[in-house]
Amino acid sequence: MRVSRRAFLNAGAAAGAGLIVGFRMPGVAQAADAAPAAFRPNAYIEIAPDDTITLWVTRSEMGQGVRTTLPVLLAEELEVDPGRVRLEQAMPGARFKGIRLRTSGSGSSSGTFRALRLAGATAREMLIAAAAQVWQVDRSSCRAALGSVIHTPSGRTLGYGRLAGAAARQTPPSDPPLKDARNFRLIGTRVKRTDGPAIVRGGAVYGIDVRVPGMLVAVMERCPYLGGKVAGFDASKALATPGVRHVVPIKSGISTGVAVAADNTWAALKGRESLLVTWDPGPNRDFDSERFIRTMEEAFSKDGYPIRRDGDAEGAMGSAATTLEAVYEYPFQAHAPLETMNCTADMRKESCEVWAPTQTPETAFNDIIKTYGLPPEAVQVHTTLLGGGFGRRLFVDYVHEAVELSKAIGKPVQLLWTRPDDMRHGFFHPASVDRLRAGLSADGTALAWLHKAVGSDLSMFGLPSEEEKKDLQRYAKDGSPWGAYDNPYGFPAMKVDYVPVDSPVPTGAWRAVEYPSRVFARESFIDEIARAGGKDPLRLRIDLLRPGNILELGDQRIDRGRMIKVLEIARDKTGWATPLSSTKDRLRGRGVAVNSYFGESYVAEVAEVSVARDLGDLRVHRVACVVDCGVAINLAGLEGQIESGITWGLSAALHGKIDFRDGRALQESYTDFEVMRMDESPAIETHVVPSQAPPSGFGEHSVPPVAPAVANAVFAATGRRVRRLPITPARLRA
Amino acid sequence: MAAFTLTINGRKRRVDADPEMPLLWVLRDLLHMTGTKYGCGAGVCGACTVHENNVAVRSCQIAVSQAAGKRYTTIEGLADAGDHPCQRAWIEEDVAQCGYCQPGMIMTAAALIRDKSDPTDADIDTALSDSVCRCGTYQRMRRAIHRAAREGKRT
Repeated sequence: MRVSRRAFLNAGAAAGAGLIVGFRMPGVAQAADAAPAAFRPNAYIEIAPDDTITLWVTRSEMGQGVRTTLPVLLAEELEVDPGRVRLEQAMPGARFKGIRLRTSGSGSSSGTFRALRLAGATAREMLIAAAAQVWQVDRSSCRAALGSVIHTPSGRTLGYGRLAGAAARQTPPSDPPLKDARNFRLIGTRVKRTDGPAIVRGGAVYGIDVRVPGMLVAVMERCPYLGGKVAGFDASKALATPGVRHVVPIKSGISTGVAVAADNTWAALKGRESLLVTWDPGPNRDFDSERFIRTMEEAFSKDGYPIRRDGDAEGAMGSAATTLEAVYEYPFQAHAPLETMNCTADMRKESCEVWAPTQTPETAFNDIIKTYGLPPEAVQVHTTLLGGGFGRRLFVDYVHEAVELSKAIGKPVQLLWTRPDDMRHGFFHPASVDRLRAGLSADGTALAWLHKAVGSDLSMFGLPSEEEKKDLQRYAKDGSPWGAYDNPYGFPAMKVDYVPVDSPVPTGAWRAVEYPSRVFARESFIDEIARAGGKDPLRLRIDLLRPGNILELGDQRIDRGRMIKVLEIARDKTGWATPLSSTKDRLRGRGVAVNSYFGESYVAEVAEVSVARDLGDLRVHRVACVVDCGVAINLAGLEGQIESGITWGLSAALHGKIDFRDGRALQESYTDFEVMRMDESPAIETHVVPSQAPPSGFGEHSVPPVAPAVANAVFAATGRRVRRLPITPARLRA
Repeated sequence: MAAFTLTINGRKRRVDADPEMPLLWVLRDLLHMTGTKYGCGAGVCGACTVHENNVAVRSCQIAVSQAAGKRYTTIEGLADAGDHPCQRAWIEEDVAQCGYCQPGMIMTAAALIRDKSDPTDADIDTALSDSVCRCGTYQRMRRAIHRAAREGKRT
């Protein structure tokens, strides 16, 4: 998400005689400009007379550290200890009406950087003005530090709490000064997680931990077929299970089914076991993901949408001394967060209260209002901590189900998805195939790049209309071929086409959304071009990015200079010039990949792998990551996200895939959808490029380069090119 | 339904439950101790790890009828003040991201350093690799376990 240069501040007296500073996000700036009377801030700080400083958090905490970062931004300018800032989770509606609470696009820090600092600075200036008034001194002789205003000449101090009432009567400054980066005492340091102590003591409250008086717990037998439905069910045995109270068909989610509500989870699970349901498999009972991959490959023969044309790529191919062609394949992927989907709902006749681990409480809020015709003030959506989000919790299907169930049974209820439910019924990362072609001159110089990307448009928010597809720039960005249309390299000629192929699989944002699949293809093929032309793959990338200018693509500006920089640092920090030597038992190699996410952050990664000489075992030993994401707010948090994204990417590179057979997802748990574990986890080192550029995202950005860096390292080690993920020993040997 | 008396965090707790009900749900639903997490229900993720007579076990795999007469420790009772060397080291190394798996990880790690006061990386691999952290905090956990072992010896 982009941060506007402007933030709109509003300050005034709070009902409780404290000082409230509200600020709003750029996304609704136009409405504010047009109708200042309707101005509503999206987040507040409040300073109470008892010195309590409260910050309303406008993003969901899902491990990215927003409950640590946002207080830092505020505290930096307000001159308080961030540990003293009390956090409240913002709720949709009322004063947050129309304000973004959604957590997506790696925008938690970048999207709040300026607005929160301005809020802190405004409050600080008003507190200083209030103190100067109390002391009858010139305000320039006063300064703020650690929660107090100090009169420098006399050393007198007044705490913020005591000043709150007077501060609220000050005129808000129109343009409060922000600190110079050289004077930051918090931004750019390492700040530990706010929730760390609660987490390690088991006291952190996730959605699944919500307990409401009188609530039941429910699980649901879900139709295993994509798009299938309940044909009929016999609830008698389930209802005879001790503790089971209700058996109700549920239709409002992505999979229809029958819910069993009981006094506790175990009773619900037992009840579900004895439920007899017959399914109408619906129209997709023959869907098979292996066959779907073949269908997508057949679509290479179609023209598709011409999303990028630089020069005459086909013509250049005709004059090439050598041509290369390769097809890459990426399977369906699940999110599989450790906390399964769940929601607690208390739907009454005239009100509804919901507790959900969600990335998008406003969607839940708006949907409930719309579906049940309730007035906004009758709906409350509480965002709990999220046991992982990764894009899955941008969808509120599980909220709909819980509300539908609560309404049906007339009681508060927590609807819990089991692990197999969660693995099989999601909004998956779409499977895709990419065909790459390149033409080289006799000396190995790349002349042309042709990329045909095939895949499914994300179904998460509805498929794009034919009319929308006519705007190719927008379609490329809203649709599937991220990483293909914004290819950063400066080939003399480039042609990128996108062919959408429908699938019945619900698809949605996964960590880094569409980049992982296309960047795997792109960065692997760059490696192939380098090898074919006898060039060093890291050096070739730098050469193709020269002269380091800005590449403008629609509203994206890709700074090739920053991209070169992360590659150069990766080269220097990893000893790239000296190839790894193999041992008696194992072949070793290094691989590199690089990516920019919407031109906002730049990430290069170098992976070091070893492969048993019989190709029966592959290990990733080390991943070095260089990241340029502008100003780093909390280095500890940034490094954590980089490590997390790399581990996520490795899970997909080495293990992850969801198969569909006969219209049903096959995998059910971490046994058949394997993820990285301690013994496989490599050493990860993060190098942060010092920058004064505005902060940009980093939560997803380390994911896309991992798989190609590993595949390229495997090639360097073994001379074998794996073009299908996951990279398994069987595929290495094939 | 039957009555069972369990010893949890040093206290005797009486519950009425289906004899097959896993300890996980006894803790979470009957005793409202929600620090122990549900992750898979099949013993493959480790989120529900507790100590049974000081050994790390998966509470989703233990029926309440088997639990009677044994001593259990959950994350809430690992240390009275929440300051077990692992808990302190976890904060010091800033391990947690979403944090959901961490109680189970800490219980697993605490059992490890009780058995081996100076665990090697290989010991850590063996003990922790049955557990899943989808945020990928593995290397920080490794550092935290080494730190906890050092500090545990000091105290």
